[in-house]
Amino acid sequence: MKKTLALLLLVACLCLLPAFAGKYILYITIHIMLLSLFSLGFNLLFGYTGLLSFGQAGFYAMGAYGCAKILLAVPSLLVGIIGGMVIAGIGSFLLGILCIRHTRIYFSMLTLSFGMMIFSLAWKWRDMTGGDDGLVGIPRAPLEIPGIFRLNMTPMENYYYVVLVLTLLAIYLFHRIVHSPMGLTLQGIRDSETRTACVGISVRNYRLISFTIAGLYAGLAGALLPPLESTVTPPVAHWSHSAEPVLATLLGGIYTFAGPIVGAALFYILKDIIVRFTEYWLICLGVIVVVLVLGFRGGVVSMFSGKGGQR
Amino acid sequence: MKPIIRTEGLGKYFGEMAAVHAVNLNLQQELFTSVIGPNGAGKTTLINLLSGYLLPDTGRIYFRDTEITRWEPHKRVKIGISRSFQVMNIFPRMTVFQNILLPVLSRLNKTSSAFSSLQSQKEAVGEAEKILGEVWLQEEKDFPGGELSHGDQRLLELGIALATNPQLCFLDEPSSGMNPIERIKVLELVKKLASERKTTFIIVEHDMDIVFSLSDWIVVMNRGEVLAEGKPGDIRENQEVRDIYLGEEI
Repeated sequence: MKKTLALLLLVACLCLLPAFAGKYILYITIHIMLLSLFSLGFNLLFGYTGLLSFGQAGFYAMGAYGCAKILLAVPSLLVGIIGGMVIAGIGSFLLGILCIRHTRIYFSMLTLSFGMMIFSLAWKWRDMTGGDDGLVGIPRAPLEIPGIFRLNMTPMENYYYVVLVLTLLAIYLFHRIVHSPMGLTLQGIRDSETRTACVGISVRNYRLISFTIAGLYAGLAGALLPPLESTVTPPVAHWSHSAEPVLATLLGGIYTFAGPIVGAALFYILKDIIVRFTEYWLICLGVIVVVLVLGFRGGVVSMFSGKGGQR
Repeated sequence: MKPIIRTEGLGKYFGEMAAVHAVNLNLQQELFTSVIGPNGAGKTTLINLLSGYLLPDTGRIYFRDTEITRWEPHKRVKIGISRSFQVMNIFPRMTVFQNILLPVLSRLNKTSSAFSSLQSQKEAVGEAEKILGEVWLQEEKDFPGGELSHGDQRLLELGIALATNPQLCFLDEPSSGMNPIERIKVLELVKKLASERKTTFIIVEHDMDIVFSLSDWIVVMNRGEVLAEGKPGDIRENQEVRDIYLGEEI
């Protein structure tokens, strides 16, 4: 009951945020929501399925470039976002077929390699991606369903609400998935692949499903970026960007539902504070993550819920 | 009686070593069968081959009339073959209840359901509760599996193996690490479940007293080969079997 009230209060605050916050706060909050989606998908693989991916930025980039290309051709936000997400979903499904054949360090290295291949494509395929200049001048096209409604996205507040609604919807769906029989199956694979296979479950199929869903979430986060920034550049596909959901999830807690979301907020807030004092903000953040991992292995959420890393 | 599992010239070789060699078995339905033999005799390798955890280098395996030699483990489970492991193999982070629920959901083909809650799976929940009762773990149902005592984890593993409702169940040292009283309790439970559920159990066990008192049929292995098989009385009198157990009374 307490939890539900706190959640409703948080959602109410987020809904009312544009009324009392400036553009910069909205901009940061949108970024926190994007990293939350990115981290949630990553954690479906890591915390729920036991697969550590270092290549999720590749699918984020597929979503971002996909959405950007569509928006440059068709000025419809909905088509851009869905298109970007679908491209990332197809990409993660196809690459997933190869990656999920292995686990542990081999899986991590494969995802890292494919992630960097996507980065190379973004960097070198100038005709398609704009090379190191990236894609620029991406319009924040209106949200419209022809003949039904049309919402202008020029004010930041409007776009903020679109991102908020999509984020809440994605979090709700994620909650349904991880608390469903399929979610339990993924946790079984994380705990013991051999035992899961020996209760009649095809481990590979479920790993592929998990990989594809993680790719869809990364793609959604990526697709929401170009309308915000009006540009996409290759660093979104770089492995260091893949590290962001890893850090956020470790900060928040890998074995808790809310861990990646709380971690994403902490990551951005800490970054925002530290970056005012030093350009070496990643070193400071790294130290914080090391302290948390060594001292509080379950992450911040477990620390406060007193569950010691349990769900 | 009909054979439930049959092998023809089954072999598994690790380099020069024959872990299992030319094994021809014809194990009967509803006979409580024990596989015994000294350490390194190939008992666990045999179970691994029959359950699909390892693939054989030679020979064939038949479950009833179906050849399953190269089937993956999850497919064998679907036709009614289940197993437990020598080294504890449960889902340590999941609750005891979820440990049992997952194999039940698998049997009911519900694991792909992505948006329904676990509580809404009424049939599976009911069955999981029943199995928890059968292996005496109702009171521990909300604890993470990994936090149970060793003996309870063994019971949980038995419960997981049973939750797929197998026709044939391999138990690899189900009572290892238990004290003698717990051992007898667990193996009597297995025997009881065998008669109630009509499941054919094939177990690997080291405690000869228990093996001889509970089994209907005994397979003795030595150096990867089947040395002898028969009823407990016949095996007890077999001189070759006595020899590999260093002449001790068995």
